[in-house]
Amino acid sequence: MTYIPSADDLEVITREVWTSFLDGDPSGLIAASGDMPADKITGCVYLSGAYTGSIMLQCSPPAARDAAAALFSMAPGAVTQTEVVDALGEIANMVGGNVKSMLPGPSALSLPSVVQGQLSLPGTRMVREVQLSWRAEPLFVSLWQQAS
Amino acid sequence: MRILIVDDSRAMRMIVARTLRMAGYDEHELVEAVDGLHALEVVAQEPPDVVLCDWNMPQMSGLELLTALRSAGWRIPFGFVTSEASPQMRTAALEAGAMFLVAKPFTPEDFQDALDPVLA
Repeated sequence: MTYIPSADDLEVITREVWTSFLDGDPSGLIAASGDMPADKITGCVYLSGAYTGSIMLQCSPPAARDAAAALFSMAPGAVTQTEVVDALGEIANMVGGNVKSMLPGPSALSLPSVVQGQLSLPGTRMVREVQLSWRAEPLFVSLWQQAS
Repeated sequence: MRILIVDDSRAMRMIVARTLRMAGYDEHELVEAVDGLHALEVVAQEPPDVVLCDWNMPQMSGLELLTALRSAGWRIPFGFVTSEASPQMRTAALEAGAMFLVAKPFTPEDFQDALDPVLA
C-alpha cells in the first residue's frame, strides 16, 4: 500500500524549514485554523512519475514579506516582489523536496511556481493539509494528488 | 580556496554562503552562479576548488552540469545541495561523480561533515 505523508508529516517538514532558515523561535509557528485572504501568496511544486500531484504552500502577503525578509536578512519594509517570489519558491521547493522523499518514486520535481491568489490544479484533489499560523498570519501547506 | 555556489535562487545562495561562514569557511572565496550554464562559464574563467550545486535549476540542472564538467575533463570536487535527498537521489548523485549530497534544510555541521574531507 502506498504511504501518503500525513498532515503531521507536512507540519514537521514545514517546521524544520522554518526553524532552520526563517525563524529560530519554534513557538512562532503554531497549529491554528483560520481564514486565508484572497490576495494570498501561493508557492507550488509539481511531482510527476510514480506519484503525480503537487505540494502547495499558501500564506498571507504579510507572512510572505516576513519570510522573504528572514531569508534575505533584510528589513521587511525593503522587501520587493522579486524577493517574495524567490523566497516563496525556494520554501515550496524545500518543503516539496522533503515531502517527495516520503512518497513512492521515482518522480520528478518541477521548478517552483509562485502566484498571488489561488492556483488552480485541474484534475487533482487535495489529500492532506496542515493549517498553521506564523506571527499571527495564516500559513497553509497541502499535498495534492492527481485524480485516478 | 575558492567555493562555487550554484543555485537559481538568490535567497538560497545567500543562505548557503551564510551557513558556510557559520561553519568556519569565512576565509574562503565564495563565488556564485545562477544555473548550470553560468557555472560552466565561471569554471572556465577561474576554476573553483569545490562546487556546491542545487539539483533542480532552469537551463541546465545540477546533474547535467556535473556530467558536462566530467565530460570536459574537469575533476573538481562536486557536491549537491538539494531539497531532494532520497536514497535514490543520493545513489544517482554518487554514480554521476558527486562526492556528497547535503539536504536542505541544512546546518553548518552538515557542511563541515561534507567539506572538511574535501578541503583538508
